[in-house]
This record gives sequence, C-alpha cells and structure tokens, in this order.
Amino acid sequence: MEGQRPRVLLVDDEERFRWTMGKLLRRRGYDVEEAGSAHEALVRIQKGDVDVVVLDVKMPGMDGIEALGRIKAIDPLPEVIILTGHANVDAAVEIMRLGGYEYLLKPCPIEDLTSKIDGALEKKRAREKLHGGP
Amino acid sequence: MTDGPTEVPPSAEARRRGKMELVAATGPAILTSALAVGFLMAGEPLAAAALGGSALLSAVFSMMLRRRVREERTKDELRTRQLLQAQKLAAIGEMASGIAHEINNPLAVIGREAEWIQALLEDAPPLPRQTAAEIRDSLAVIGDQVRRCADITHRLLDFARKREPLRQWVDPIGLVEDMVQLVERVLRGRDIRIRRCYEPGLAAVFTDAPLLRQVVLNLLNNAVQAIEQSMEPSGTITVTIGESLPGWVDMAVEDTGCGIPPENMGRLFDPFFTTKAAGQGTGLGLAVCHKIVTGLGGFILVESKKGCGSRFTVRLPRKPGEGPAL
Ligand SMILES: Nc1ncnc2c1ncn2[C@@H]1O[C@H](COP(=O)(O)OP(=O)(O)O)[C@@H](O)[C@H]1O
Ligand SMILES: [Mg+2]
Repeated sequence: MEGQRPRVLLVDDEERFRWTMGKLLRRRGYDVEEAGSAHEALVRIQKGDVDVVVLDVKMPGMDGIEALGRIKAIDPLPEVIILTGHANVDAAVEIMRLGGYEYLLKPCPIEDLTSKIDGALEKKRAREKLHGGP
Repeated sequence: MTDGPTEVPPSAEARRRGKMELVAATGPAILTSALAVGFLMAGEPLAAAALGGSALLSAVFSMMLRRRVREERTKDELRTRQLLQAQKLAAIGEMASGIAHEINNPLAVIGREAEWIQALLEDAPPLPRQTAAEIRDSLAVIGDQVRRCADITHRLLDFARKREPLRQWVDPIGLVEDMVQLVERVLRGRDIRIRRCYEPGLAAVFTDAPLLRQVVLNLLNNAVQAIEQSMEPSGTITVTIGESLPGWVDMAVEDTGCGIPPENMGRLFDPFFTTKAAGQGTGLGLAVCHKIVTGLGGFILVESKKGCGSRFTVRLPRKPGEGPAL
C-alpha cells in the first residue's frame, strides 16, 4: 500500500477540465481516472481501490453533495475533496457531515489541490493502519 | 466632517421617531394631550391663548391627528424604500450568483490550461532564452488574471449568499485589532499610519465574528485606497472602538483620504457602485458591509468631506434585540 501511486478519481462534467487536470496530476505522480458524471463515479467506486475522489459540486443530474453521500454509502474508505465555486460555512458543515474530507474553491491553482489530495491520502492511510489495512 | 451623518436605514433617527410615535400612540391620554398642548402653545401661542375649554381639546385632537398622519407617511416611505432596496439586493444577488457560478468553470479550465503549458515548457527542449522568458511571463499573467476573476466571482457569491449569522460572544477590540495588524502588514514601508483609540475594558459583543471581520477589513481597505487616491501620498487611519450609547458598540474607521463628494453619498452602498479603476474596485465592499451589519442588527454611519477624509462607523447592539432601542 505505502509505496503505491495514489489513485485519484476526478469527477467533473467539463471534459476539457478533467482531461488537462488529469495530465497535470499524472505528471506529478498520481494515478488518475476520470468520470464525467456522478453516476459514472458511483459505478467506478463500486469496483473499489480509489484513494481520493475529487468531486465537482455543480454537475447536471446528480450534484456533488448528493454524490458525496452516495459514495460514502457505497464505500466509506476513499477520501472525498469537493470543488466548489463558493465557500461558506453551511456548505462546509454539510460536506463534513456527509464525511467529506475538505472543500476547495474553484478555480484554484493545482498546488492547492495536490496539497489537499496529499492530506487526504495521509488521513486515509492512517485510518487503514489503525484498522489493520483494507 | 461637516456634511453630517448620512444614515443607512433603519437609521437611528427613524427608530427614535418610531419610538416617539409609540409613546404618543399608547401612552396615557393626559400625557399625550399635555405634549400636544405644549406643541400647540409653542407653535401658535396667540391662537392657543384665544381658544378655551372644549374648543382647545378638539383643536389639539385634530392637530395630533394631522401629525400622526404625517409621521405615518414618512414611516411608510422609509419602509417602502427599505423594502425596495432589499428586493433590489435580492434580485441582483440571485442573478450575480448564477453568473458567478457559470463563470467559475471556464475560469478553472483556463487556469488548468495555463498550468499545462507551463508544464510542457519545463519538459520541452530549451527554447531561446528570451522566448522562454516571455512565454513564462505570459503564463504568469494568465494565472494572475484568472485569480483576479476568481476573486470577483467569489465576492459575488459571498454577496449573494444567504446565511443566518452564527453568533457568539466576541471581543470587539481583539477582532478589530487582528484586521488592523493584517492591513498594517500590507502597509509596511509606506507612509500610511494606523492610530488606535480603543476604549479599555470594553465588554464582549454577541455577534458573528467572521462576518464582522469581513466588514472591518472592507472598511480598512477602503480607507487605505482613499488615502492612495488623495493628493497626499501619506495619511492616517484612525480606528476607534467604544461604547457610544449604553448597549451599543461603535467601531469607526476614519481616514485622511480623498473624501466622498456629496452626490455619491446616496449610492455608496449600492452593489457595483465604484469610483475606482477596473481591477481596483468591484463596488461590492460596502454593499456587503451593509448587508452584514443590517443582518447583525446594527447600521453604518458615514461622514465625509471631499478632500479631507471620511469616517465609517459600524454601530452594533451588544446583544441583538436586547440593547435599548435608539
Ligand atoms: N473611505 C472612503 N473614502 C472615500 N471614498 C470611499 C471610501 N469608502 C468607500 N468609498 C467610495 O465608495 C465606493 C464604493 O466602495 P465599495 O463598495 O467598498 O467598493 P470598491 O471599494 O470596490 O469601489 C468607492 O468606490 C469609493 O468611491
Ligand atoms: Mg472597497
């Protein structure tokens, strides 16, 4: 587990955004998969083996907050980072209540995102160690 | 500071008027007519002297009636104005947040693309130095401009957000001092000084700290910009905190900056009203301040003289609903 490349699932309806962000994250050593909708993401989560999900709030169909709840119901292990255009206390409380790791204001520099991903990974690994691994 | 306070409704004056009416409407009849008589005598002494007995009473009564009608009318106008302003803000907020959300996505795409070009540049075989430097410079500008747009959209979303204040007991001096130090850090090396006038031993205020910080920071930023826009490159900002009236705390930010021309006084709190160059101001600072402070049960007073400076005073109840009405 320890030495493996972190597996990140990018969920955003904007294809070009996913594509370029994917390339940027891969270049920094992450293993990246993409999903163009919350439904696609749920299907992928069911297969397991995702470390961190980066989830856009505003998507047609199921939005990010609802998707967060459903992801955690399927598999509580992956940490979820929410990308939102809008930071506020209520949304933050809701995200934390649903078991989200953090939220990030969109747009943000890639470094902000990678440091959040790393934080989420650390938390997930600490949790796994505590429970004797997956 | 000779233009006198311009108040944002609900103003102290309006509330005082409301209070007086209440007394006149519900108080003991004797007191009411005594007041009215005093008014009548003072206003028309000769007529009053000529009147007697029931004639006096009916004259007093009709005069009271007329006065009540007049007062009701001003109160109505004030209420209508406040309501219109609130509706205007809500409509603008709704539209602005929709647009801001829509813009954030393409902005995020632009930012990512610029970062990717940068990454490609690092991996590519060396370009002529001048060319590489210029590309990097252009990319940095794109990044900066994306951040600038994001700052605007985030402000718009802040402005539009409906959130009930989360109140706690807050030390007003500590809160303001934090913001003052933040601004001082930015001002380092420049000739703008911040003077503190804090009333010692001031009691805590039951309010929303993050919202109030935003208000104080906006006022301080405006003060700095006002000094930058004045004839003098140097200036002083005076921050005063104290209990103005029992149960009310005043936080005032005064500057020696450019001042506000009287014709702008009525529009300061309108969303998007700005006199600053593009990139310097969004015109949302004071609109946000107004919204927050009103939500916290207080109001903002403005005094200014063009060319001399301005003072913005935030007046908050120590505990909403408990402080004596003004
Ligand atoms: N301290 C001040 N001195 C002079 N003018 C001010 C001051 N504060 C605000 N103003 C005026 O009010 C306008 C609106 O302020 P604000 O809502 O904060 O928006 P912005 O600062 O983005 O322009 C400013 O553009 C300026 O003309
Ligand atoms: Mg401003």
